[in-house]
Amino acid sequence: MITLIHVTKQYENRTILDVPRLTFESGKRYALIGVNGSGKTTLLRLIAGTLRPDSGKIENVPLQNMGYMPQSPYAFDFSVLKNVEIALQKTPQPAEKALAALEAVGLEKLAGARGNKLSGGETQRMAFARMIACPRALLLLDEPTSSMDIKGTDQIENQLLRYAVANECTVILSTHSPAQALRLAQEVVYLDQGKIVEQGSTEQVINHPRVESTRLFLQHWRL
Amino acid sequence: MKKFFALMVALLMVFSFAACAQQATEAPQAAEAAPAAEEPAAEEAAAAEPEAVIDNPVIRLSTTTSVNDSGLLPYLQPYFEEDSGYQLEVTSAGTGAAIEKARNGDADCLLVHAKSSEEEYCSEGFGEVRVPFMYNYFVIVGPDSDPAGVKNAASASEAFKAIADAGAAFITRGDDSGTNKAELKIWTAAGIDPAGQDWYVNIGAGMGQALTTADEMQAYTLSDKATYLASENSLSLLLEKSDEMMNTYSMIAVTPERWPDTNYVGAEAFIAWMTSEKALDLIDSYGVEEYGEQLFFTIR
Amino acid sequence: MEYLIKAFSLLFGSDPELRQIIGVTLQMSFFSTTISSLFGIPLGILIGSSDFRGKKWVQRINNTLMGLPPVVAGLIVLLILSRSGPLGKLKLLYTVTAMVVAQVLLITPIITGLTATIVSIRAPQIRETAAGMGISPFKRMLYTAYDCRVQFVSTILAGFGRAIAEVGAVQIVGGNVQFKTRVMTTAIMLQTNMGHFEFAIALGLVLLIISFIINALVQKLSDGQAENA
Repeated sequence: MITLIHVTKQYENRTILDVPRLTFESGKRYALIGVNGSGKTTLLRLIAGTLRPDSGKIENVPLQNMGYMPQSPYAFDFSVLKNVEIALQKTPQPAEKALAALEAVGLEKLAGARGNKLSGGETQRMAFARMIACPRALLLLDEPTSSMDIKGTDQIENQLLRYAVANECTVILSTHSPAQALRLAQEVVYLDQGKIVEQGSTEQVINHPRVESTRLFLQHWRL
Repeated sequence: MKKFFALMVALLMVFSFAACAQQATEAPQAAEAAPAAEEPAAEEAAAAEPEAVIDNPVIRLSTTTSVNDSGLLPYLQPYFEEDSGYQLEVTSAGTGAAIEKARNGDADCLLVHAKSSEEEYCSEGFGEVRVPFMYNYFVIVGPDSDPAGVKNAASASEAFKAIADAGAAFITRGDDSGTNKAELKIWTAAGIDPAGQDWYVNIGAGMGQALTTADEMQAYTLSDKATYLASENSLSLLLEKSDEMMNTYSMIAVTPERWPDTNYVGAEAFIAWMTSEKALDLIDSYGVEEYGEQLFFTIR
Repeated sequence: MEYLIKAFSLLFGSDPELRQIIGVTLQMSFFSTTISSLFGIPLGILIGSSDFRGKKWVQRINNTLMGLPPVVAGLIVLLILSRSGPLGKLKLLYTVTAMVVAQVLLITPIITGLTATIVSIRAPQIRETAAGMGISPFKRMLYTAYDCRVQFVSTILAGFGRAIAEVGAVQIVGGNVQFKTRVMTTAIMLQTNMGHFEFAIALGLVLLIISFIINALVQKLSDGQAENA
């Protein structure tokens, strides 16, 4: 169980995240929702360890067995296949596994293309292939489908669900879309201005929000 | 390749425009102004002495490093400026370069020390008279250990022969300066052509740098005495006061024939002052206090 | 115009001294650029792509050294290599080696600084991505360097341009010794001082041509890079 205790993060003298306590149970899928600047990315980066908290501690993150897909993943100047392969450094038969992952996201035809020539949506699919190319205990995904069309989004969501169930993997993803949260997550955390406003089962938070701010956010989406 | 060719053409054009423009503006001016400028200049020079109004108060003196670096000119300058009301702008370089400045219209008066170059310059018609007014001696300096035995030589050419025989390192300034020319003359007298020899190190630099380099490389070199005394190094004075090493300084006023804006009047005034009893006394006494010996000897 | 014609006939003739000077210049610039790159590029990658203790100080020192006046670099090397200096026994003063040493002192900070700037543009995104894929910091830096390779070539060429055009330091530690340490810039100074303008112009033309070729290469490389992006 991943646990955050009294975690705060400042940026230019402004508190951008303040989490007294938050836990993520193993094998469950979580969605972080909220507007831009609510602290979703900061929270994911703190868990991934690419950002250090100013105070508090974050425990039980399986850093050695984790995949983290940042909001704008980088494509190296290698082939697309090699771009996925380098995420599998400790795994046997990386080439075969990378190709299988590319097939899963529908990029197998571009396996030989250069990674830095892909479009934004293709780059996200390639980055997602890196995540699902081998079994992992934890996946952190920062708006993984933000540059994709509906068809691409569908494919990635299906693959994510299949992968998470097959590997009993904990998933924490951030999203703008409550609909995506409903499709993918069992639990939802609603963030506003760096604070956790409401959390609970997806069905309960999205359909019966208890807090005014959550209600306003969801109302906006329903219109 | 096309781009490269285009650049070369562009470069050529820039250069040739610059050159043409210069020639075009020079020629008519020189032709018209030269005869007109000459006579009044001579008249004024004669009458200049007491309270004549100074047209152009700036005299550009082109001189050699030895005169400037030894401190002689900075020492004389305030006396001259106070007595005459002129302002002296001194640039120093090797004699070859110093004369070249006069040729290019960047100097009004020369103070140099290479007779043959001076005569060549005067024969081109840009200076009427050489005025030799002082001399000193070149010295051969080198490492204290003196591997070639220069100390025992009777003359400069004998010393140079010893250096060549020993194959000991010798620094030549190689900058066409008066010292450089005097050095080459001594090699000729010794019947040796040192160019291209391993031990003959051509550094293309002024006297100060030549002494520093000789010190670093523990090599011999020919220097004027004043600069040797004024610079800090561990070299020893091995040979001096051989006849071949006499070093005569002359002044030449640059005539305004080629460059009409040349301050001929000022140059004449400077030469007149430098050859006055007062200035000659000042020169004779220069350096006695600091180095315990006379550095420059005047010709009266 | 007269000077220019003479300069061209010198340039395309076979003046042995002119060739020798060009040869020494290229040799010196090649070695000083190579050595500076071997130090500067790895250091630049390290500074540009990772956070470590004292990084700010390293950057400050490097920025200061980037502005080091060549004559000061020359003076430092002179004092070290002088007969009375700590390394006087090596007898390196007034050799091409001494000039290379002084130039390495000048050029390494420049290459380091340029490399760090280039790397730091991509570094945050790469760091974030690499951390999420379990890539080790060392491998991450290798991949970063690979992706910046084209810009590194421009950096190296910029260093070479600086080396070939530099005069203050090489004059001091090289001594402008004919047939030994006389390079294009010090020869131009000397010939200008002596009033031999045609020789100076011929050398100046060679310098211009070389720097044109270098600039054309840099341009071509960065154009190629733009097309790829």
